Amino acid sequence: MTDEHSALALRGLAKRFDGKVAVAGVDLDVPAGSFYGLLGPNGAGKTTTLSMAVGLLRPDAGGAWVLGHDVWTDPVRAKQLLGVMPDGVRLFDRLSGAELLAYHGLLRGMDPAVVDQRAAELLDVLALGDAGRTLVVDYSAGMKKKIGLACALLHGPRLLVLDEPFEAVDPVSAALIRDILHRYVVGGGTVIFSSHVMEVVERLCSHVAILAEGTIKRVGTLDEVRGDRSLEDVFVEVVGGRTATGEELAWLSR
Amino acid sequence: MAVPVTGAGQRGATMAVTGPGGQPAERVRPVSARHFVRLKLRVMGNNFRGQGWRIAMFVGGMIAGLWFAATGFFLLAAPGLADEPTYALMAAAFGGGLLVLGWLLLPLVFFGVDETLDPARFALLPLSRRTLVTGLFAAALVSVPAVAALIATGGLVLTSGLLGGAAAALVAAVGVVAGLLLCVAASRAMTSAFATMLRSRRVRDLAAVLLAVLAALLGPLQIVVVAAVQQADWDRLTGVARVVGWTPFGAPWTVGIDVAEGRAWAVPVKLLITALTIGALLWWWSRSLESAMVGAASGGRIRVRGGGAKVRGGAAKTGGGAAVGGAAVGGAAAGGAAGAVSGAVGQLFPKAVGWARRDRFGALVARECRYWWRDARRRANLITIAVVGIFVPVMVNFGGASFSTGEGMEFAAPDSSPVLVSISMVFVGLLASVTLANQFGFDGSAYAANVVAGVPGRLELRARMAAFSVYVLPMLAVVTVILGMLLGRPAWLGVMAGSLLATYGAGLAISAFVSVLGAYSLPETSNPFAMNSGAGVAKSFLTLLSMLGTAVASVPMVVAAALLGDAWLWLATPLGLAYGLGAALLGAYLAGDVLDRRAPELLTAVTPRR
Repeated sequence: MTDEHSALALRGLAKRFDGKVAVAGVDLDVPAGSFYGLLGPNGAGKTTTLSMAVGLLRPDAGGAWVLGHDVWTDPVRAKQLLGVMPDGVRLFDRLSGAELLAYHGLLRGMDPAVVDQRAAELLDVLALGDAGRTLVVDYSAGMKKKIGLACALLHGPRLLVLDEPFEAVDPVSAALIRDILHRYVVGGGTVIFSSHVMEVVERLCSHVAILAEGTIKRVGTLDEVRGDRSLEDVFVEVVGGRTATGEELAWLSR
Repeated sequence: MAVPVTGAGQRGATMAVTGPGGQPAERVRPVSARHFVRLKLRVMGNNFRGQGWRIAMFVGGMIAGLWFAATGFFLLAAPGLADEPTYALMAAAFGGGLLVLGWLLLPLVFFGVDETLDPARFALLPLSRRTLVTGLFAAALVSVPAVAALIATGGLVLTSGLLGGAAAALVAAVGVVAGLLLCVAASRAMTSAFATMLRSRRVRDLAAVLLAVLAALLGPLQIVVVAAVQQADWDRLTGVARVVGWTPFGAPWTVGIDVAEGRAWAVPVKLLITALTIGALLWWWSRSLESAMVGAASGGRIRVRGGGAKVRGGAAKTGGGAAVGGAAVGGAAAGGAAGAVSGAVGQLFPKAVGWARRDRFGALVARECRYWWRDARRRANLITIAVVGIFVPVMVNFGGASFSTGEGMEFAAPDSSPVLVSISMVFVGLLASVTLANQFGFDGSAYAANVVAGVPGRLELRARMAAFSVYVLPMLAVVTVILGMLLGRPAWLGVMAGSLLATYGAGLAISAFVSVLGAYSLPETSNPFAMNSGAGVAKSFLTLLSMLGTAVASVPMVVAAALLGDAWLWLATPLGLAYGLGAALLGAYLAGDVLDRRAPELLTAVTPRR
């Protein structure tokens, strides 16, 4: 059913909330070693799709496979290979950064000594060491994203699923996150992340999928999707954004 | 929840700012209290949409409210129905006074504040403080407790009417309405002021302790009152009632009786007292409201103790954080960082669970332990257990003595029995274990981390039980010893410990099931008193369910205490321990299976709707 070379394979994923369709049958193959951007406007179903892909939300129909392991029937194996940074989800934020990393590491069944060593390294690289014993709840938005990324990376997953990793992140932190992700992909990992920031996607991604109204509208390598135009033009065209004619909202210019 | 509020809020804004059409310099339509009431009803209605169980909860809440209202009505109407004018003043002054007291304190301790209309959401709208306060005040009147209180105090109108005719009834009706306004204003002002003060963690701790103690004292206080009533001479109590009648606590409720007893001159004065109090409360509320609106977003700042964490000013929220994030990219900070980080695992484990192995189970226990202390909501629960756990058994075992002998509160010769002690211990165990009935609700969406990591359900539940027990078992031991000493019956310690352990263990098992199957979300806010509308009812239903199950499960211990006589004094502890431990492990085993299958659904249930 799934391609052996796919790091993540989604088949017919669908979900409705209170009768309203959020995701209407998503098929997606994320090749191993790719840097995959999932684009879509607000409310397109990006978060819902990724939540179903990693086992946080039970789909009404369809399935998800991580490196060939079914997320819903063989969750233990699939989740071992998976690092996740959800969006709009709290961390256990009444722990300090180091405590949070230790918690995640042990929860993944890692050796305590390895956890200590990697946690120190991650905090150092992500410039979170200075925060000391500050609780994560008191971190700034960018720091929260970084510690979330550290938690997802700690156990050395083969596939990283990141929901809006660049949202509310200042340029310095964003550059840092970009570098780390880039190195991770070069080292053989696979990343899929959702975003609606075109430049980031254009700069980083090898593959792109555009999700709108709960279905995949365009999918392929970056060059296939954008052709000879800019990604933004394609995106706006696909999503069906309207351009203002200048007639409405006339009272704004007074 | 945010969607309907914002939507309707924008509607309000449109009304206030632009008005219809695009004409320049259009008329601004004033916003009145009516809009707030309609907004609240709309938000409540939207909350029900497509949520059958919420409607069921609400209906349940209404039935409970009606039941209380009817009871109160007949209690307050009794003096009139029985034609006993002597008691009329007392019923009005004490009953009404208790009502005001309840409105003041109960929201702080147990039920939380209905945040359906969160003041912070109005911060950006061009509303005067006066409009906002009257609007929110009117909206606060639209609630089940307010209606129930109105019905209950309607009994006073009946009493006044029966004793003093139509005029007295009319005055009483005015007084009752004024009294209700006073209750609501007092409750709102109090909670709002507290919410503002509670920004700082230290005040929050202190307040939680004080309030828990205060609430727990209501029980013993009741005994004193009952004992006093039994032997008191009525004249003196009438005198007290008269005095209470002149304070804001009793003034609005007693005006009808005053007319009936021929003191019509007191009516305007008492109504003036009430009006002034309401005015003062509303003014106080509007003051704290403003700061709540401005500062609500920043919330409380919580820091780990020690470890060189310096308290930054509240304003440093983003700026300071970004500076920390940006400045340290170079290696200069590495030394300091390494110092702070040495042994991330070691930092996670508090001393109390130093025994735990550094594996999944240990990590879960350690994190839970940290949370029972650092999460204000959880800590408030622990404090309640500690305080109520001591007072209730004392009350049950000594209260019986004072009732039967009428000798007041003398601790010398309590006529308790192993059965009575068992029952009171069952209650303590029940109270402690029921705290876990919504244990996943405390986590909220953070529980996603455990789902992503694929934590086995059985491990998860066992770890949560263990972490909670780290705090609760020592407390229960202290309760047992204190009670044993007070009773002067060291021989009963075994029975007490046995009943306690058995009930606690069985309660943990039942709470494990309830927490997996009946979880609900708590609002993610720094205000420990906040609670979604409807969640209060949900909470009481779940708690009731767990308590009922636990009580049934603990029946064998009480029966054994009654039947086995002296042998039970020795057998109780080992048997109770085995029973409790077995029940808890079995509960974790079975409920863990359910959790494995339902983890994503559970996560959805505890994630607050946004």
